[in-house]
Amino acid sequence: MSQLAKAQPGDDVIIEFCRAGYRLGGGATLLNNVNFSVRRGETLVLLGRSGAGKTTALRLINRLVDPSEGEVFVERRRTVDWDPIALRRHIGYVIQETGLFPHYTVEKNISLVPRLERWTDQQIRTRTQELLTLVGLDPAIFLKRYPHELSGGQRQRVGVARALAANPPILLMDEPFGALDPLTRAEIRAEFQTLQRQLGKAIVLVTHDTGEALLLGTRIALMEAGELKGLYSPQELLGSEEPVAAAYVDQLRALEKFDRGGGR
Amino acid sequence: MKRPDRRSRARTSSALIPIAFVALLMAACTRRGETIVVGSKNFPEQALLGEIVAQQIEARTHLRVERRFYLAGSFICQQALLAGRIDTYVEYTGTALTAILHDPIESDPATVFAQVKQEYRRRFNFEVMPSLGFNNTFAIVIRGQEARRLNVHTLTQAVPYARQWRAGFGYEFMERPDGYPGMAKAYGLHFASARILDLGLLYRALLDNQVDVVAGNSTDGLLAARDLTILQDDKHYFPPYEAVPIVREDTLGRYPEVRDAISELAGEISDPEMQKMNYAVAAQGRDLSEVARGFLHDKGLDGKQ
Amino acid sequence: MNQFLAQHGNEILEASLEHIWLVGATMLLAIAIGVPLGIVVARKPWLSKPVLGSANIAETIPSLALLGFLLPVPWLGARADRLTITALTLYALLPIIRNTAAGISGVDPAVREAARGMGMSGGQILLHVELPLSVSTILAGIRVATVLTVGIATIAAAVGAGGLGEFIFRGLAMVNDQLILAGAIPAALLALGADFLLGIMERVLRPVAPQHKPAQ
Repeated sequence: MSQLAKAQPGDDVIIEFCRAGYRLGGGATLLNNVNFSVRRGETLVLLGRSGAGKTTALRLINRLVDPSEGEVFVERRRTVDWDPIALRRHIGYVIQETGLFPHYTVEKNISLVPRLERWTDQQIRTRTQELLTLVGLDPAIFLKRYPHELSGGQRQRVGVARALAANPPILLMDEPFGALDPLTRAEIRAEFQTLQRQLGKAIVLVTHDTGEALLLGTRIALMEAGELKGLYSPQELLGSEEPVAAAYVDQLRALEKFDRGGGR
Repeated sequence: MKRPDRRSRARTSSALIPIAFVALLMAACTRRGETIVVGSKNFPEQALLGEIVAQQIEARTHLRVERRFYLAGSFICQQALLAGRIDTYVEYTGTALTAILHDPIESDPATVFAQVKQEYRRRFNFEVMPSLGFNNTFAIVIRGQEARRLNVHTLTQAVPYARQWRAGFGYEFMERPDGYPGMAKAYGLHFASARILDLGLLYRALLDNQVDVVAGNSTDGLLAARDLTILQDDKHYFPPYEAVPIVREDTLGRYPEVRDAISELAGEISDPEMQKMNYAVAAQGRDLSEVARGFLHDKGLDGKQ
Repeated sequence: MNQFLAQHGNEILEASLEHIWLVGATMLLAIAIGVPLGIVVARKPWLSKPVLGSANIAETIPSLALLGFLLPVPWLGARADRLTITALTLYALLPIIRNTAAGISGVDPAVREAARGMGMSGGQILLHVELPLSVSTILAGIRVATVLTVGIATIAAAVGAGGLGEFIFRGLAMVNDQLILAGAIPAALLALGADFLLGIMERVLRPVAPQHKPAQ
């Protein structure tokens, strides 16, 4: 693990995993001895194949599950010491299927947490329009639409808007673009890069797509079989000789070969 | 956008459905106007008595009377009276004692009446009015010819001859402890044979000489019309089934004139008179209300001469 | 016919109101008990077998037999309306519990996950997400239960509950077709009417999102 990848003491660490582990009731170990931290303003990508434990790690952050071993800290407090509801309202959560409420308009979906937090109507209205614009949707058209009237890409944008509504300092994203077709995916990823710079939030993003990890991540955490195999910056990952990292990069390169119209 | 408006309008109007329902429900709980409801059980004698009570109330008061006859039995009538769906019906004291109050049976009519009256007031707030005058109890019947030939008029007198008689009984009389078994023990009566017959065929079998003695009811219509003799229950074995109008106390409270009207009927119907009316309706097929009206007129109760 | 209506019209109306009261009281009770039970079953799937199993037993017993069973029970059996409403409620429970549980379990797990992740409490999720999305299914259960109740309430006249069934029994005893119809037709109309009105509510309250593939 490189020097650059490790967080320096005194940095603005907002999330920290200390020897965190998670075991199912039946005995299967989903996470084992995971250690990393996330600073404000950085995007940590959890990269790995299905079953690597990345989603479990994510869900430890907003207490959808609690660690069986070790500890997870948010804002320097152990998650188990946080009231789960308060913690989750402090964190934006975007999932692959979006999970928009089908019986709510786009407006009501986005303004969910602000309404739970009892913002004023005026504040809510302003914020909702602001967010829609931010994710690239025209408020005049989309405010009163229902989720089933939106395309996949539009729904995912609303999902992001919803997660950002109460301006949480942390954003958790679980394969957010996985369900989209490649063209839409590329489009949204590009827009998201812009958003990242604008928002300055701590983002933890789960993906199995190496390209996405390289594009969006400030740092990349490679996970395999419930363990953290390495923490890299994008450059370091590309140049790494460690077997797991190399395997991911090779897979990416294999695709690129096709892009250049066949062999060299 | 038009769609949300139509949806929200549809939602609002569909909310009216439960509201309308609740309103209907509340309407169901309110009482009806100045009407008295007279009930009866589901055989002709009961309907006749109900009709007599109904016409009497109509003649003597300004109240409207609704008839709810042919209710399926004592239990149904009792429930209807409790719930206030009917205001009155005619019950038999023995039935009231055993089937409604679940008290053990007694033979003394005065005791039974007093007990029923007291218990009904205490437990249900029902008023038991004085008997209409007849006792619809079990009747042991033989052919009139035989009665005269053997000079037998009571059950005790029948004991020596009973050994030669073939008996025909209804299922209930055979099975009930206060029916055949109890009677046999009380009088030492033993018949040559005892068959179960359909109730409707009892008298026909008797008259056709297929049986020699049957157990019927003392107000059966055929008893008035054929040469049949009821053997007197001289040991007073059979329980009394005096016909008494039962009325809700709150009905009497609201309409005291109903009490006066029904009281006039006390003691007015004798056993033979009830038999005659039953015969008219059941065997002759005459109209129920006509027969009732005729009865009231003959008794001078309808105020007409 | 007109004469018959003139004579008995008031009685028919009264009997109808009695019937509606029996059905209404039953449905209120059945919904008050059944919907919460359905929610509990949805939350704890291991309860599904015992709860639904018991309700199913009550449903399987023939209605007249159930009324008969309850007759000797103290306090309950003393008054026909208590007895009837109890029996009718037991009958109405199964469709309501089953549909409530199905409706709530059937909510898209992604929606539930998102709701939890955003910081909604269990009660908020129930109130703002699960129930609104299940309303149509729950109403379908209520509709089935209501029509069932109207029918069985007719039989309950046999134990003295009154209502339109009483006309039918009286008509049978007197061999009077008009009386029978005076009970049967309004009862049928009542069942059809309830079915129709509740069907409208069910359709109107159906969730917006269709279950098929969304627009691209």
